[in-house]
Amino acid sequence: MSLATAFFLAFFGIAAIWFGVVVFRTHSMVRSAIALLFSQTAIGAMFLVMQAEFLGVLQIMMMATEMSVMAIFMVMFMMDPGGMGKMDMTHQKRLSLWAGGIGLVAALVVIWTAGWQGPVPEVPGADEQARLLGRELLGRSMFIFESAALMILTAMVAATMVAISPQEEDIQ
Amino acid sequence: MSIAVVLLALAVGCYAVAVLEGWAVHGRLSLTRPATSALALMGREQILPRTPDRLFFESGPVLLLIAGLLSVAVIPLAPGLIITDLAIGALFLNAALAYVLVALIMAGWGPNGAYGMIGGWRFLGQFVAYAMLIVMPITAVAMRAESLSTTQIVLSQAALWNVVYQPIGFVLFVIAAMGVAWLPPIDLPTGGGDLAGGVEAEYTGARLAVLRLARLVIIVALASATVTFYLGGWLGPWLPGWAWTALKTLAVAAGMLALGPRLPRLREAKYLAVSWKLGITLALANIFLVGVIALVVPI
Repeated sequence: MSLATAFFLAFFGIAAIWFGVVVFRTHSMVRSAIALLFSQTAIGAMFLVMQAEFLGVLQIMMMATEMSVMAIFMVMFMMDPGGMGKMDMTHQKRLSLWAGGIGLVAALVVIWTAGWQGPVPEVPGADEQARLLGRELLGRSMFIFESAALMILTAMVAATMVAISPQEEDIQ
Repeated sequence: MSIAVVLLALAVGCYAVAVLEGWAVHGRLSLTRPATSALALMGREQILPRTPDRLFFESGPVLLLIAGLLSVAVIPLAPGLIITDLAIGALFLNAALAYVLVALIMAGWGPNGAYGMIGGWRFLGQFVAYAMLIVMPITAVAMRAESLSTTQIVLSQAALWNVVYQPIGFVLFVIAAMGVAWLPPIDLPTGGGDLAGGVEAEYTGARLAVLRLARLVIIVALASATVTFYLGGWLGPWLPGWAWTALKTLAVAAGMLALGPRLPRLREAKYLAVSWKLGITLALANIFLVGVIALVVPI
């Protein structure tokens, strides 16, 4: 790994973490969503530094739309979307702390115990990467991806149904 | 070197599109109007709205400009005359254009004004309508070229332009492209006469100039993308390659601009319904047809 690669990898990695911190520091729902977007964009940039062109650009593209849609859901359903009322919207703090802590420990355990095979000596070209990804997505991994897509769609519809307050005609 | 040439061509293209838009909107051709308007905007007072989200207010127009410039980076003007010939250029173009949405939401949310905010979120609704109709026609184009590289896509049209090979995709892409650049009749985020300028409502002076310049860049980017994907890019007889790209791009932009004022504005719900019920069906049919043709007839 060259010095420039290491520098940019570290730069975008720190940027991703920083924007992740901003998500929780701001009171504005829209700022929070956009900060999460730029955190994910920085991860996309890390893919680009590691010469995974297709994955990097895909990450950068998908997150723009996903986080924008998330932002409008937050504006619709939160009581203080602009954060101008200085309303405290946190809850279940003890549970969140435990869940976050356990998640961090689990991630660290996986990182340290997994048998990483070291850096790949030769990265396939961007054309070849796209071809290999296509074969993978339409072959072995197809079932996993399609079922995940269906589950996300179901969750979206269900979450919207739960969040909308019952209308008059539903009560009658 | 080629970066400077492409940026210069982009500047000329933006000016030409501004002249064309003035012609389409005011009905009178004036070669100097964009220059005088720009000077007037730069000279005007810059009003800052009360309690804005200052970060979004300032960075929205700049992000829009960056998104436009990045999308131009993968458009070839002539063989070798391209900022960066990525192997995944067509996907990169989509990724850059996705940030048009983010920039408009930021610019709409930033000033803390009702018209701007409604305009910004309206563009999200518009985005949900056009997003699939940008991606799916490009999928069919890439299927024929067997590559996502924009240069390869132009070369694949040597025997027959894609506008003839996949006319359904061409029509869908042009309509969706008009949605991306919020050209009338799909100009919901600014909605002149309806939202008092929408996203542009609270912007004044140099900030408004940046916002308008960014939109011109996006119009040029989409017109040249249409040329690259469907009208054979630089291919053509007699003239040099770059001249063909420039002529075709201006023709596409003029067509898009001329169409708008003659149609009533589309409501976002209607645009969504048409795009999803009719548009996506047609786009899927287009992908299927192109797949069959590509397998059966070797052109």
